[in-house]
Amino acid sequence: MLSPVDLDNFFLAFFSAALVILMGAAYALFFTLAKLNGRRLFMVTAYLSYGLLAVSVLLLAEALNLRGYWHIIVWLMLAGYLLAPHGIWHLCCGTHVAAHETANAGDNGRIPAKTEV
Amino acid sequence: MTAIAGKLDSKILNGGQKLAVKYFMVAIVLFVAQVAFGLIAGLQYIFPSLFYEMLDFNVNRMVHINAMVVWMLYGFIGAVYWLVEDESGREVVGLKLGNIAFYVLTAAVTVVVIVYLFVQTGPGTHKTLWLINEGREYIEAPRWADIGIVVVILVFFYNISMTFMKGRWSGISGVLVLDLVALAGIYLCGMFFTTNVSIDQYWWWWVIHLWVEATWEVLVGCIMAWGLMKTLGARRKIVTTWLYIEVGLMFGSGILGLGHHYFWIGTPEYWLSIGGFFSALEPIPLVAMVVHAVYDSGVHRFKSTNHPALAWLIAHAFGNFFGAGVWGFMHTLPQINLYTHGTQWSASHGHLAFFGAYATINIAFFYLAMQKWRGNVWMSAGLADNGWKWKWSLGLLNTGVVGMTIALLIAGYEQSFIERAMGGSTWQAYFEGQMHPWYIQAMQWRVVFGIVTVLGVVLLVWDLLTIGRKEARTAAVLESPDTKESFKPSSTGAAAGASAG
Ligand code: HEM
Ligand code: HEM
Ligand SMILES: [Fe+2]
Repeated sequence: MLSPVDLDNFFLAFFSAALVILMGAAYALFFTLAKLNGRRLFMVTAYLSYGLLAVSVLLLAEALNLRGYWHIIVWLMLAGYLLAPHGIWHLCCGTHVAAHETANAGDNGRIPAKTEV
Repeated sequence: MTAIAGKLDSKILNGGQKLAVKYFMVAIVLFVAQVAFGLIAGLQYIFPSLFYEMLDFNVNRMVHINAMVVWMLYGFIGAVYWLVEDESGREVVGLKLGNIAFYVLTAAVTVVVIVYLFVQTGPGTHKTLWLINEGREYIEAPRWADIGIVVVILVFFYNISMTFMKGRWSGISGVLVLDLVALAGIYLCGMFFTTNVSIDQYWWWWVIHLWVEATWEVLVGCIMAWGLMKTLGARRKIVTTWLYIEVGLMFGSGILGLGHHYFWIGTPEYWLSIGGFFSALEPIPLVAMVVHAVYDSGVHRFKSTNHPALAWLIAHAFGNFFGAGVWGFMHTLPQINLYTHGTQWSASHGHLAFFGAYATINIAFFYLAMQKWRGNVWMSAGLADNGWKWKWSLGLLNTGVVGMTIALLIAGYEQSFIERAMGGSTWQAYFEGQMHPWYIQAMQWRVVFGIVTVLGVVLLVWDLLTIGRKEARTAAVLESPDTKESFKPSSTGAAAGASAG
């Protein structure tokens, strides 16, 4: 079930792998920025990054001969990177709102709103 | 607790912090040793006769990477001692014992290094293993020292957990203590003897991989959480929630990601799929961490009480992401690792990941420590001499390591192509790969950037020794990001009640 990369696909294998992670980060960053200041351009850039990510994942799958059950990785990456920033964003909002409400209490009721350092 | 700003004053430090600065000082000495021996090893690639039969490549390489592991562990232990009183709300338990442990450990490390350098090798008997060298990369210390290390770590663990037990627990300290149990326990896997090299490697990777891709990663997560609260005034609830998410993702992918080292060492074939699958997911927490760091810095508008420390914390987030996430993912699937395994590709990833993830955060802590030790001085914008030393050392160190990483990447690419894929991994192809102009030039560039790295380290040491020396202002006080108040130096001398830099 495992066929190594062909000689011709060497560069593609490394390049697309690096792009998967980089575009994953770009998508997450622009998604966060768009949510933070509501600029459409950021959201468009975010989904363009995801588009590139998807292309990179498919190219990687091609270069690494990911067939059979190895397809699962491909689907996991496509879905995981798409949904993760949404989840992270919700958590960011959730925790920051929660922090507001308990600004004067914090954990253990001891962390003051003003953190002296 | 008031101190004269600008003067080194141990009285301002709490008990744990006094011990912490000792650990930090040894860490820095070992960091210098690490790069010095790395440079010699790098030069030997170009001038093979350099120090031949006096200080051979294998010895320099061993000192280079062992010094690295040890200085990073010293830094971590120091960081934990640094924050423990603040986090637990009480004096550290067993400080005397902790001090003894520090001196015992440092003496043991010194003896081990002297033996590495002057005895170097033995006949390969059990006696060699006990007294000279255990022969497991990164953790080569002989067995007597192993046992000493375990005892010292037990003391450390006792001190830390008892301090929290008698003081106050928090989300951060809970994760920290559980993680220390795992970190110390895993070390035992690298201590026994077996004649079967597959079994040996199998367990050795438990130490190396489960350290750097699970337990160390969580440890720095705890330290980072605390650091973000201190430098940015980030909220405890937020950083704790993040910490839980990180721990879940990191352990979820990193533990079975171990399999990416079991592709070709004689372990069963199912590791190809397990290792490939789980390690492919390892970058996800690293992506999340970058987003978090950017989000939090943005929310706090980069206002911080300690600019150098914050800069190094940001370098940590990116270094971890690129070194471990991007460089790791590029060679983690068996379809490609078949060719890259054990080439300079691995060294490229190893340098960027260790530096990016772990050197950076330790350096950030050195700055936090110096700030407080100097009497809690100002370290925000507008430092003396415009802060050129910390900025240049930051620049030189990152340029140096990234430069070496790229050089090694080119060498590794060439090796996996010429030696592995085309040459079929024969003995002859092995040499052909290393005689290719790309390879030779890459080795030269590695030394060029190695020198840049060394300059960065020298400047870093100089800066740490001098930063804040003539500073009369005291540290900035962070306003809560919600109150949107202005950011100004505190007017009341050393911030009362604050126990950290
Ligand atoms: C901060 C975290 C990390 C550090 C410090 C680190 C460091 C290292 C080092 C030093 C090696 C070489 C080991 C040797 O001497 O043979 C190595 C190997 C390896 N690392 Fe990492 N690593 C990290 C994270 C990752 C991640 C997240 C991945 C995957 C996504 C990864 C994938 C690999 C693989 C596949 C190898 C084996 C290379 C070979 O076959 O030669 N690493 N790592
Ligand atoms: C002065 C700069 C440096 C030079 C010239 C240098 C050189 C070297 C050399 C020649 C090796 C042996 C590689 C081999 O076996 O082929 C090595 C290994 C290694 N170095 Fe460095 N190094 C430097 C700085 C660093 C730094 C700053 C770090 C991390 C913080 C680091 C981490 C490592 C690691 C993890 C290995 C083992 C890699 C592996 O086995 O794959 N080095 N270094
Ligand atoms: Fe690993």
